[in-house]
Amino acid sequence: MTRVVLVPGVLALLPAYASLEDPVADLRAACLAAVTWLGPDPVVLADAQGARVAAALLAACTEPLVEAPGPLGPSLAATAEASYLVVGNGSARRTEKAPGHLDERAAAYDDALRAALTSGDGDLPDLEVGRSLLASLDGIDRLADLLPPGVGARVDYDDDPFGVQYWVLRWQW
Amino acid sequence: MTLQLGRHAFADDATLMMAIVNRTPDSFYDQGATWAEDSAFSRVELVVSQGAEIVDIGGIKAAPGVEISAAEEMSRVVDFVARVRAAFPSLVISVDTWRASVAAAVCAAGADVVNDAWGGADPELVDAAAEGGAAIICTHTGGATPRTRPYRIEYDDVVAAAIADTVAYAARAIAAGVSPESVVIDPAHDFGKNTFHSLEVTRRLGEMVETGYPVLVSLSNKDFVGETLDQQVGSRLIGTLAATAVCALAGARIYRVHEVVETRQTVDMVSSIAGRRPPARAIRGLQ
Repeated sequence: MTRVVLVPGVLALLPAYASLEDPVADLRAACLAAVTWLGPDPVVLADAQGARVAAALLAACTEPLVEAPGPLGPSLAATAEASYLVVGNGSARRTEKAPGHLDERAAAYDDALRAALTSGDGDLPDLEVGRSLLASLDGIDRLADLLPPGVGARVDYDDDPFGVQYWVLRWQW
Repeated sequence: MTLQLGRHAFADDATLMMAIVNRTPDSFYDQGATWAEDSAFSRVELVVSQGAEIVDIGGIKAAPGVEISAAEEMSRVVDFVARVRAAFPSLVISVDTWRASVAAAVCAAGADVVNDAWGGADPELVDAAAEGGAAIICTHTGGATPRTRPYRIEYDDVVAAAIADTVAYAARAIAAGVSPESVVIDPAHDFGKNTFHSLEVTRRLGEMVETGYPVLVSLSNKDFVGETLDQQVGSRLIGTLAATAVCALAGARIYRVHEVVETRQTVDMVSSIAGRRPPARAIRGLQ
């Protein structure tokens, strides 16, 4: 059995950038639940910043979270033959207030990227276009090579609260 | 050092707003605005809504004036303390008094802190605080008699004097039975000090913090601010907040204030700059 989780490389998830009120509380909760489901010591697919986010999430999961079994079943990491934690996200140019300001191509690009990731049977949209839209794609590019055809994702989180497209997705096969 | 103020405990890094509530007809800042009990109670309600953790209730203005007997002082504050205690169980109640008899009465009525602005003028005050289970604020006045203004007072080293006197007062309080976690020291700006003295204790407040005792500062709208900036009472908020920022950076823990909201924001901002407090909600550049 292989388990894979995708989380976004949001620096606000790092302890060094903690606020009194967590600005990404919902996202953090989704990330922690998914990483807990993944189990310990996954292979991390990420760029350098994303690797720091992955490490922080894994460290935060060393204390067991109580999670009700989801549609994919209870946390059974010991039975997983391989597990991967992928860090990446969609465009950071989705709105005028987004870090990269508005690029009219961003929404369509993210729609295509979402479809490719969740359906399990689509090719990734052009990576160079994605990078021009400030999408974080290093880990996602490697994920695409990993996913068997036809394996769909469970969507735990899908939102763009700051004009940046975040997903928390799980795969199992 | 963890801070225990009567019924209430606070973490090592907590900063606290102590809002001034005058049950006096003649205090310098408000000129009797909260002299009537209901007005004073409304003031308590207001500062609690603004986030003050402590109220400091006083029945006698600090400046010279008509003599107020202990009985008269008690009539101004004891029942009022009981009313505030009943209405706000989680609020720290401090009473500004130098008299042991008044301290004993307010502790019985529910006060948590005895704020002795006059530096131990009544030697039995520490016993009253100990017996009442209260915290005590140990101030430095240079030996001034209560309700007198400084006149040609000089120090070899005003900060050394403030540390020596407040630490000695603290030791006396602990010896009397006050919990070590319930002893706070205060350099007492303007009390037994000219403006140059108050500026120096502000500049060197870190030396008081290094004693290990939590430090209270009472800066609000005082004469040293007014003389430094040539501003009358009513126009001293900016100078007060500047002095507050310097004390916050040095590590002061309790701020005795007229303006709660402005002081809280100043202290929080400085605490975050100092790396002692996370921002309220930071996402810029971190999305």
